[in-house]
Amino acid sequence: MIDYLVSILTEGVIFAIMALGLNVIWGWSGDFDLAYYGYVALGAYMTLVLTIGPPTQPTTYILGLTLPFPIAVIIAIISSMLLALIVGAIALRHLRGIYFSIVTLGAVYVLYIFAGQFVPLFNGYNGLSGLFDPMGDFFHIDFASYGFYYLGLCAVVLIAVVIMVTRLNTSRFGLALRSLREDERAAAAFGRNIYVTKLKAYVLGAGIGGLGGALFAGYLSAFNPSAWSPVETIILYAAILVGGRGSTRGVVLGVAVMVMGLQEATRYLPEVANQPSFAPAFRLILTGIVLVLFIRFRPQGILPERRLRDEDPAGKSGAAAVAEKVVTGPSLDTGVA
Amino acid sequence: MTALLEVQDLHKHFGGVQAVNACSFTAAEGQITGLIGPNGAGKSTAIDLISGFKIPDTGTVVFEGKQVQGKPPYAISRMGMIRTFQTPREWPALSVLENLILACYEPRREGFWLSLRGPTRAEKERASEQLIRARAILEEFGLLSLRNERAGNLSGGQKRLLEFGRIRMAEPRLVILDEPMGGVNPVLGERMATAVLGFVGAGTSVIIVEHNLPFIERVTDQVVVMAEGRVIAEAPFEQLRGNQAVVDAYLGEMPTYDDADN
Repeated sequence: MIDYLVSILTEGVIFAIMALGLNVIWGWSGDFDLAYYGYVALGAYMTLVLTIGPPTQPTTYILGLTLPFPIAVIIAIISSMLLALIVGAIALRHLRGIYFSIVTLGAVYVLYIFAGQFVPLFNGYNGLSGLFDPMGDFFHIDFASYGFYYLGLCAVVLIAVVIMVTRLNTSRFGLALRSLREDERAAAAFGRNIYVTKLKAYVLGAGIGGLGGALFAGYLSAFNPSAWSPVETIILYAAILVGGRGSTRGVVLGVAVMVMGLQEATRYLPEVANQPSFAPAFRLILTGIVLVLFIRFRPQGILPERRLRDEDPAGKSGAAAVAEKVVTGPSLDTGVA
Repeated sequence: MTALLEVQDLHKHFGGVQAVNACSFTAAEGQITGLIGPNGAGKSTAIDLISGFKIPDTGTVVFEGKQVQGKPPYAISRMGMIRTFQTPREWPALSVLENLILACYEPRREGFWLSLRGPTRAEKERASEQLIRARAILEEFGLLSLRNERAGNLSGGQKRLLEFGRIRMAEPRLVILDEPMGGVNPVLGERMATAVLGFVGAGTSVIIVEHNLPFIERVTDQVVVMAEGRVIAEAPFEQLRGNQAVVDAYLGEMPTYDDADN
């Protein structure tokens, strides 16, 4: 039972990291990116080919190195960011909204089919395996308690990611990014280079996705195309929407509700005779219903994005206001808090 | 009077339509220049070309002695020329105060690494100065009590004022206002006329595209009249009444201050 709980939590923490990366792209920058799971997958693949050693017959894949796990993760993140730079540079140039989504969907399907069909790259549909207990030997952790250790590692990474995105979100960078989401033409009229700023956000988000993918590979110890159908991105979108688009706390909560919560809620359904696919199908239907209800009744999510709040009670301006505590909530580096 | 903006022989066509055809005029520093003309005269296209939102086929735009035609909008904006749009374009999900603070473009503080590292002491000071200035501007426009409100929840008139507030915050060298009086009631119109005159006091020259002629008459120093893509007159407003070409193209029956509130 405790092992089960650990595995559920580990998965939740990894999905929260992935969702936070997607939130940079969709929540802040406002681009409905369907290629996102491609960056997660590339992160996972790269981590594996950099750590599991040379291929043995009949498997084939590139690199086949035995680098330490952390270095492999860093290279995996960089690979995801480079791929995002290429896709983003093309897709963000002129396209927005549904047109951007279609191009990114095309990109992820190209990648998906390429990874599946071009066997010398990542061993095709059979995928890669053999990354057991990354860093377990280094810390002398035995097999039985390894799950706890990996959960701890993922949790530390999640906290680091949360700190990073919180800083960015309350900074001028985050604010400028949200202005692009809200009205691009106005943002350009006030001096923002839309293309470059959006591309920065896109690459950053993809990097966090690659990190999530790398941890996912360490958790699964294997990766193949069946682990990352592009539809997975939709689950992440559902989590962000339910939790609160643009809100860091909301996204983490959304993953808890939509990824972990729904999974667990549907686990104890009575089995239907001769219908083994009933439970997974029901889960997707439930996801859809929850999504529709939220879009209709609470589109801002459970914990909506927070705005700067200026709490100066009398609305004073001038020197008197400096001495007072005037800003609460996201501090927006105004320095007066 | 030195020319802050010089537009020379600007051309732009869309398919078979010659939207702007050999348009030339100047806007002087420290002045309010009106840009008027019938619908389809090419006013909006002209300001799109000047502000970089569209690229001219031929012609030059010289702003503060530098050619800016064909430059992207953000580059022109950073040089100190900011434009507004026919409909107010606030950032709806951001607060009124955030809308104002964002009007100041700050390349350093908006950079990725500096944002990640957190602001330095000097930057914090700058930010708090900015906050105080934003409050003062909001107070001037009567929006201070709404500063934490979502900007998208403001009324149409309040959004116009917010847009003016953003301009005051940005302190550009030149602002191009595209029909700021659209859908604005007379009382608010008076306030906006004062605000436009206030821009000049704050060191911002103004170009204003507007159909509300009493407003144009009241605030402008010089008026540029466009028709069918070209400039047909460039003179102070009172002289336009005697210009037959302008009367035929646009003014028609002489409007007076009382009855011409389009």
